[in-house]
Order: sequence, then structure tokens, then C-alpha cells
Amino acid sequence: MKKNTFYLVVGCIAVALLGIFWYSVEVHNALLIEIAFILGIVIAYFARKNVSDLIEDERSAKISEKAALRTFQVFWVAFCAVSIGAVMNLLYVPHLPRQRIVNHTSEYFPLELMPLKMVGYIQLGLLCLMIFLYVGFRLYYARKYGEWETDEE
Amino acid sequence: MRNKIKVFRAMHDLTQEDLAEATGVTRQTILAIEKGKYVPSLDLAFRIARHFDVNIEEVFTYETEVRTIDID
Repeated sequence: MKKNTFYLVVGCIAVALLGIFWYSVEVHNALLIEIAFILGIVIAYFARKNVSDLIEDERSAKISEKAALRTFQVFWVAFCAVSIGAVMNLLYVPHLPRQRIVNHTSEYFPLELMPLKMVGYIQLGLLCLMIFLYVGFRLYYARKYGEWETDEE
Repeated sequence: MRNKIKVFRAMHDLTQEDLAEATGVTRQTILAIEKGKYVPSLDLAFRIARHFDVNIEEVFTYETEVRTIDID
């Protein structure tokens, strides 16, 4: 498989995933997009293995490696901070639990606890942060190791 | 790390693309090495030297920073 064909396959997978995502939202079935996403990534990996052109050498491998390492070094701090916050939230002891139970208020859990929907948004935010960090570090190291250098040739 | 890849390429009448293909890397990598932006691995350095049929020291030279102190 040629390099351009591989990029075309990846583009097709992305469009298909977008469609499946839209459909799974329509039918309220999260499992559909989850399975499709994993399958899409597996197909992309297999397609990448079959590329005959050279798409990665030791310099680009080093750029990816460094960017991934730096992303991890920054991301784990943010992830731990959020996780510690979540644990604090879980261990939170409501001030007047009995009163709530006696009163039979609409909530079974104290209002101060983080709603489940919020966890999803936080996860999405963390995912965006990770992508943002990786892209940023990748651009930095690509520039450092002469990705966009030009010469007279 | 300094290198004379450009000189050797000129001597052998090779383009960056030719050398890249012969050593199994991309043209951008050869360009980055020539410009001193990227220090190649020992393996790649040997491959480049072997391609020119010379010793590795003839292509690559390791230079430490030399500081001069004025003594009056």
C-alpha cells in the first residue's frame, strides 16, 4: 500500500466514525461508537503496517518518542490533580445526611457530589488537554529536529 | 557533532534523496543531519560512512566546547 492510500484509508475511517457517532447519538447507544472506534483504530494500525513507502525513520521516531514522553510528564500532573479532586469528592461526608433522608428530597446523594454527567465532561477536557499537549510538543520537537528545514537543493 | 556529508555527497555526485534512499531514511533526515539539527544514531552514522566507503571519523567529528582563558 502506498503512503497516500494509507492517508486516504485513515480519512475514510474518520468519516465513517463521525457517521457512526452521529447514529449512536440518535439511537442512544454508546456501545456502538465505542466498538466502532476500537475497530477503526485496529484497521488503521493494520493499514499502517502494510504501507510500503517509508513513513517513519529514526528521526521521526525520536520526535514522536520525545513528544509522547513530555506529554506524559505534563499530563500526569493534571490527571492526578483532577483525580485527587474526584477522590475528595467521593470521600465527602455530607454535613446533614440524616436530614436529607428524613426529608426525602429528590436527590439520594448530597448535592455537593459531582454528577455523573460532569465526569464525562471532565474526561473530555482531559482528553482534549492530552491531544493539545501532544500536538504542541510534536510541533516543538519537529521544529527542533529540522522537520521544516529547507535548502537550496 | 560536525559532519562532512555534504562534501562527500558532492564528491560522489549524490543528491540528498539518493543518500536517504540508500541509508533507509527520509530526505528530511539527511537535510537535518547536514544542517546539524539532528545527531544521527550510531547505526545510521555507520551506514552513511559505509555508503561513502570511508571510516566514520572521516564523516563525523565530535567536537567539545573549548573555552579559552586569557592569562595575563
